[in-house]
Amino acid sequence: MKSALSSLFAGLVFGAGLVLSGMINPAKVLNFLDLFGTWDPSLAFVMIGAIGISIPGFMFIRKKKIVLFASELKFPTRKDIDKKLIIGASLFGLGWGLIGFCPGPVVSSLLIGNEGSLLFTAMMVLGMVCGKYIRKRID
Amino acid sequence: MFIIGLAVSPLILSNVFDVEIIQSFSANSLLLGSAGFLVGLGAVIGNGCTSGHGVCGISLLSVRSITATLILMVIGFAVVFVTRHVAVG
Repeated sequence: MKSALSSLFAGLVFGAGLVLSGMINPAKVLNFLDLFGTWDPSLAFVMIGAIGISIPGFMFIRKKKIVLFASELKFPTRKDIDKKLIIGASLFGLGWGLIGFCPGPVVSSLLIGNEGSLLFTAMMVLGMVCGKYIRKRID
Repeated sequence: MFIIGLAVSPLILSNVFDVEIIQSFSANSLLLGSAGFLVGLGAVIGNGCTSGHGVCGISLLSVRSITATLILMVIGFAVVFVTRHVAVG
């Protein structure tokens, strides 16, 4: 129950960040990606800001080993750069650059009445299901 | 629950705090659908997205996440360069 509420709260805060920073607007994202045209560098500060808060946050939690809502702390440990990572990130970048939506912002757009975000999300879920099968075949 | 929070958050912001939400994107269904498919496919194959690798992973100083974020950004820049400046029809 506690962990469900903390997830809900994290989603609310994360969504608020996406709205207030403008990440929720694909046109703004595409302008951020348009280095040689109408470049809008402001979104870089969203990422820099988020990382600036998260680095000390994660360091603190790891050092103090604070676990509030789960049985243990789990962090990714892999360090190898494999084919899946490169192929996946490339496909992701391709889709992201075409519209300007990535998973977080498109989910936070679902209830505000833009039909396009429903289509995007439905196809994204389909892509995720296909991805599960395809990733097994990439070595 | 995280997803519910994420989806409900903008409603609270706009209805309770009067935040104006500005959104504009292509209405081309084929483009929207293919982009969505690629994003979902890539996020699963590559183990993460802009938030997973870009914010969480980089914050954990993960070499994999830093690599993935650089790749997806460079490809994003390239796609926009091609669609806006090369293939202008």
